[in-house]
Amino acid sequence: MSAFSRPAAEGDAVLGVRPETVFEPATVEEAVEVVAGSARDGKALAFVGGGTDLGLGAPPKRLDAVVKTGRLARVVEHAPSDQIVIVEAGLTLGELQKALVSHRQRLALDPPLPERKTLGGIIAANAYGPRRARFGSVRDLLIGISFVRADGTVAHGGGKVVKNVAGFDLPKLMVGSLGTLGLIATATFRLHPLTEEEVTLLLRGRTAAGVRALVAAVRKAQLEPTSVVAAWREADRFDVAVRFEGFRAGVAEQRERLAGLVLGQAGGACEALDETSARAFWSRHDELRTRPALRAKLTALPTHVETIAGNVLPGLLGALDNPSFLWYATLGIGFLAGTPADAGVAAAAIQSARQKVSGPGGSLTLEAAPAAIRERLDVWGPPPPSLPLMQSVKNRFDPDARLAPGRFVGGI
Amino acid sequence: MSASPSPASTAAPTISRDVAARLAAVVGERHAIVDPAELRTYECDGLMSYRVMPGIVVLPGSTEEVVRVVRIAREANLPIVPRGSGTGLSGGALPVPGCVVVGLSRMKKILEVDLENGWIRVQPGVANLDVSKAIGAAGYYYAPDPSSQSVCSIGGNIAENSGGAHCLKYGFTSNHVLGARVVLGDGSVVDLGGPVLDTPGYDLLGVLVGSEGMVGIVTEVVLRVLRKPQATRTFFATFPSTDEAGNAVSAIIASGIVPAAIEMMDRLAIEAAKAATGLDWPDVGAVLLMDADGPEAEVEVTADNAVELARAAGAIEIKRPRDEAERQLMWKGRKSAFAAVGRISPNYFVQDGVIPRSEIARVLREIDAMTRKAGLRVANVFHAGDGNLHPLILYDAKVPGQEQAAEEIGGEILRMCIRYGGSITGEHGVGADKAIYMAEMFSEADLETMAMVRCAFDPEVRFNPSKVFPTPRLCGDRPGPYRPHPVELSGEAWRE
Repeated sequence: MSAFSRPAAEGDAVLGVRPETVFEPATVEEAVEVVAGSARDGKALAFVGGGTDLGLGAPPKRLDAVVKTGRLARVVEHAPSDQIVIVEAGLTLGELQKALVSHRQRLALDPPLPERKTLGGIIAANAYGPRRARFGSVRDLLIGISFVRADGTVAHGGGKVVKNVAGFDLPKLMVGSLGTLGLIATATFRLHPLTEEEVTLLLRGRTAAGVRALVAAVRKAQLEPTSVVAAWREADRFDVAVRFEGFRAGVAEQRERLAGLVLGQAGGACEALDETSARAFWSRHDELRTRPALRAKLTALPTHVETIAGNVLPGLLGALDNPSFLWYATLGIGFLAGTPADAGVAAAAIQSARQKVSGPGGSLTLEAAPAAIRERLDVWGPPPPSLPLMQSVKNRFDPDARLAPGRFVGGI
Repeated sequence: MSASPSPASTAAPTISRDVAARLAAVVGERHAIVDPAELRTYECDGLMSYRVMPGIVVLPGSTEEVVRVVRIAREANLPIVPRGSGTGLSGGALPVPGCVVVGLSRMKKILEVDLENGWIRVQPGVANLDVSKAIGAAGYYYAPDPSSQSVCSIGGNIAENSGGAHCLKYGFTSNHVLGARVVLGDGSVVDLGGPVLDTPGYDLLGVLVGSEGMVGIVTEVVLRVLRKPQATRTFFATFPSTDEAGNAVSAIIASGIVPAAIEMMDRLAIEAAKAATGLDWPDVGAVLLMDADGPEAEVEVTADNAVELARAAGAIEIKRPRDEAERQLMWKGRKSAFAAVGRISPNYFVQDGVIPRSEIARVLREIDAMTRKAGLRVANVFHAGDGNLHPLILYDAKVPGQEQAAEEIGGEILRMCIRYGGSITGEHGVGADKAIYMAEMFSEADLETMAMVRCAFDPEVRFNPSKVFPTPRLCGDRPGPYRPHPVELSGEAWRE
């Protein structure tokens, strides 16, 4: 036991696997001490940020200690004129945005639960929100990283300038790696200016074909929304939220043009939400992506929305109580959620949906699920053809399989 | 990592007649080059100061042929150097002695276009600009735009993670590659990513882009393509010196504008561009060329604000092109600047380094002082928006000592970039040219970690050995479990 460790409690379990010890280092040096110590003693570790995405992946096969990053929460450097920030991994996204706002800047990532999600966790879980439509995901905004390897060595990749091609892109390797390659210690991000104005337009009751047509029309008209989310309402009906951000004049003009585009179409109403309603829509979105007991991510080509609505969704939605589905319409990413009424039925529905989306290159992964569902299927689904390469990477970085063993794709 | 002998990088390899014949049988006699005179074309890339004769050059026409070539090279224990159009400026495609150069120039088909979903599948030999040309009429384009885009290949762009003037807003190659088919060192073929986002697992595609030919040979690529923006507004501003121009860049970015591009040229670069193109540019200390693009009303505001800020920062004159033809002319001046420097100096080095953009004015002064002291001149033409410097160090190879002095200044500039918290390369890559500076930018542990990535892909170090890493690195067969050193156990030392 060191000065920053304590015995684990029930709440420290990772998907039901309870460690013996919890470490809460307050400096990178302390984190190094923990990881190097665990290497010496052959202990298995898991890394936990805000703990919002622990439902991702499978339970660890072995877990001696959890390293929580919550005390590694400093802004190391903010260079407003260079629009970059370096942070420690345990800083929450919410705290970071607060620190940036006086400079009229933001990190253009908007996953749900920013007050709890840490930046290290966001990288490890590849967490993102609807603004990915315009700003990309973590991989597009992360420009530098330092992490503690399984053997306790600190490695850096990237740098603190946006444009940099020196060496292998270690930052990208860490994105979505779920703590299986190392403990993220610090991260450097590219920032964006806060915009002058933002508006959310709601187009109610569109069919899946209507969603597809809307995306095509928006693109044809050269509109540049920062989010396009189709929320399933009933049968073949979606309410589509389109968000514009930018200078006041630009936002007003884009909003008018969108209204003009859909005018006269069936379900052509285009309602500009006032601030309260817009906030309500997006917080409802966040709730659906974080609250329900079963949550799954479905990926496909954006144009496959009709097939998904017609062939894939009915089976899934029918197997859940309070079902919901959010479709990031320009990206081809959907978030299914609900409460499984019967685990067997839900698991079968997921398997069947998986087969339907995997043919054309899509995937269906569980982001959270009750144990009864997890027992019945692999949360990741069939691994991609590059699994042997992934295993090879894992073997180089963590030859003793001590970092969250078994959590990742294909049992990594 | 343990250092066991690595077959591909130890013995000086030569190509036996038998191996050459087998390779020729795969790609066809016409596409297997062994004649020394013909091989000369391949002994260097765009960095012509380094030359190494390859053992053989093969130009496969399909993934299957690449696989067979890789298998033969492996059996014969020969290193492989992949090559695109050979326009790279860091020696990334420089052969190693006696190697098999695999040129992808014959693989230039566009395989599949899906504009509604915003992607295109191409072979690696397709020229960057040909992607945009193929979809331009439909109103789409491929965003990364390196200056050599009319000739450089998509495969080469992936190897180098190429940028270009417009990556300030749109990002680099790595932000626009959705998938790739790769032939690995054991001859296996693997698909990474694809048109559908978020393939479960590690982002190996992210690792592939910018790996400088060290992990495998890319034989197919899925690229993201974008709808053209509704409007583009360009302005051209002149300044008394790079100080004011640098401050204008900082002010524009700080105001919340994300320009599509901001390029800067200094007095000497302007002089060269004028000499080469006949453009009627004024005789000033610096010019800025800026593009803003997006929805029309948004761009109007952006461009107006930027013009005001440039004026406030001390611009002498601000011009907006009257039409697209005039706009193209302004860009022509910028794009021809590199080659134009040849008009005002018998020889020059192109350097590529990055600094935080807020330091532009200060750094340019330092570079100026440094070159003056050495009795040389430097022309600057670069991507100011992201602090990506391209100093062109002018010298005369016929004057004894000048070439060496220019080389030394090039190195000093890189060291200065590191000192300012920047990078030794923003878009040209490390290749053979800058490997020694990697050890100044990264720690031994960082380099070791990068080598672990490489070894995970290519444990025999078959592909492009002796590039990027400052010292030769081998991969142990299997990385052994961590064994603490006795000193460590006794508490006398601590690993970091």
